[in-house]
Amino acid sequence: MTMRRRDFLRNLVITTGGVTLGGSLLAACGGTSSNTMVDGLAIGTPENPIELPVTTDAIADGLASESGTLEILNWADYTNPESIAIFEKQFGCKVSTSIYDTEEAAIAKLRNGTFKPDLILGMTDTGLAKLVAADLLQPLNKSYIPNFGNVIKGLQNPYYDLGSQYTVPYFIYGNGIGYRTDRIDKNAFAKDGYDMLWDAQYKGKLGVLDSYRDTLAMAMFRAGVKDANTSDVAIITKAGEDLISLREATNPKVDILAYTEMPAGNRDINFTWSGDLFTALQYLPEGVSPDVLGFWYPETTVAKNDFMCITKNAKSPVLAHQLINFLSDTDNAMLNREYVGYQPALESITVDLLISTGTIPESLIDALVTPEKYESGLAQVLLEPAVDALWLEQWTAFTAG
Amino acid sequence: MLFAVPFYAVACVAFGTIDPIFRDAVPQWNPFAWDFTQAQQVFTSLATGPLQGVAVRTIIYVVCAMLLCFIIGFPIAYFLVRHAGKRKLLLLVLIIVPFWVNYLMRMLAWVNLLSNDGLFTRFMRIFGINYNWLDGSPITVILGLVYGYIPFLILPLYATLDRLDWRLVDAARDLGANSRQAFRLVTIPMSKAGLVAAGILIALPMFGDYYTNDLLSRSPSTEMIGNQIEFFLNASSQPQTGAVLVIALSIFLLLLMSFYLRSTRQQSRQTAR
Repeated sequence: MTMRRRDFLRNLVITTGGVTLGGSLLAACGGTSSNTMVDGLAIGTPENPIELPVTTDAIADGLASESGTLEILNWADYTNPESIAIFEKQFGCKVSTSIYDTEEAAIAKLRNGTFKPDLILGMTDTGLAKLVAADLLQPLNKSYIPNFGNVIKGLQNPYYDLGSQYTVPYFIYGNGIGYRTDRIDKNAFAKDGYDMLWDAQYKGKLGVLDSYRDTLAMAMFRAGVKDANTSDVAIITKAGEDLISLREATNPKVDILAYTEMPAGNRDINFTWSGDLFTALQYLPEGVSPDVLGFWYPETTVAKNDFMCITKNAKSPVLAHQLINFLSDTDNAMLNREYVGYQPALESITVDLLISTGTIPESLIDALVTPEKYESGLAQVLLEPAVDALWLEQWTAFTAG
Repeated sequence: MLFAVPFYAVACVAFGTIDPIFRDAVPQWNPFAWDFTQAQQVFTSLATGPLQGVAVRTIIYVVCAMLLCFIIGFPIAYFLVRHAGKRKLLLLVLIIVPFWVNYLMRMLAWVNLLSNDGLFTRFMRIFGINYNWLDGSPITVILGLVYGYIPFLILPLYATLDRLDWRLVDAARDLGANSRQAFRLVTIPMSKAGLVAAGILIALPMFGDYYTNDLLSRSPSTEMIGNQIEFFLNASSQPQTGAVLVIALSIFLLLLMSFYLRSTRQQSRQTAR
């Protein structure tokens, strides 16, 4: 049963559950996916999962693969060219990739038609809410994705897309602190935790993520807050002030380049995504042991996954399904991981399997996201504009120096 | 039209609204319905808030980079015109050739040269200078700006100096001025219009520059106004703020341009007399 676009827009839903959003939103929400509000977004949270509205039918079963080119939209270096070459050979097609560097810019270009991909890789749940609201996605036909069963059980029915109608998880990761084991003692984190990032001895050798949501949330976790979506002005302001004190103490780099800067030895310590440390292994200079890279996985942190989804107007929807299926195969996912570094969201790719491949140094075992870590991780949801403005105000105070 | 239409479009974004769902700009094309609330907040921030520091820093960096460009570029242009003889065109081309390479590629090359084990860093260590160039240093960002924009100063300066009537300098020397006095009292005043034009030409892109800092520093302590514009337009839910910053920067640059126009007009009048 499909819904007309007008009805769909009228019935856009937001569920907030335990997540603190702005008052106007809270007033309209009761915590179930059937609540209705105008000018909202369909966002699920772990406490209040959501079944997204469907405005079109999935493709029919048993269609033949299209010939020609499969257009994908992806982050830079987020698929293994070798994996893509195998897929091209296997399915007799060509894969053409467009790159995006922020979800906001990608969605804007998808809406105005600059990007017309068949398949999108690496979007997260906040992006999904907008993609669905813009009616840019088509539901998946799982008969083309038999490998869907390989996906981590807890993510086969994710809170942001109950029933996985539109998405198949791609990679999982958590936020934490990467460090050089040849310069920092692992045990220091047990004592100081997040405080390590405020230590002036790492001045000029420290980096934080160029992501206002992640880095401000990190400052909040350090202060004992266990909410990555707060609208509390005092907490947000305090996080901003704490980041300013971090800036004054350490003159940090604010970017997403931990994966190149740490192996090059330009950074001692970096607040970053766990997957970056695995990517960093490829950038180690010749002769440098992989054991120089370490990761501290905090008890309170954000854990996330991204996913693959197919656009509504895809010219090669069958091929798009087939690439999703291909990347969800254990062997193909392992090959893809070799290049990308991030951890595939597959049940079969366990921590033990990854360690047994010999590609993960012991110092980076903590960077692996176990199902338990994923479960205990905090989720980030899209903030109401007024709350988002408060976060941005503090981020500007930090980055404007 | 080339200025008015884009400026109007930016103003429509700056004084428009934000789409509550997609958080992108909804331009308000009707000037009578423009909302200045966000603009007021941004101008307040520029005057007394978090953006004040970045605005002041941008001005300081650009002024320092311009001064260095003049100190390095003027003697080069002067040498080419006065002393290079038949080889002046060849030398001019040799100076310009490296700048045929894309700006980003040149800056990335500098990142390699300035890294801890980079050639330039190792070379400077021979002279006892052990400086961490890429540790968020303002010096590196200013030198990056100088390197990036100096050819755009040399070329117009060369054109100005090449057109000067150097007999006036000879006349000053004949009348008893020493070489310094002739330079200060004749050469500099005669080339003032060229100096101002070249200065404006490099100041305009320097004020909006963001990639030099992005590539050579990435530290908040060296953030320029261009970095803030880039962030608000590309990676935040407040594109309006980015558009207001573009307008603020444009107004500032318009003031610089009007100074240039006034100065050239005065120069023309003096020449006519």
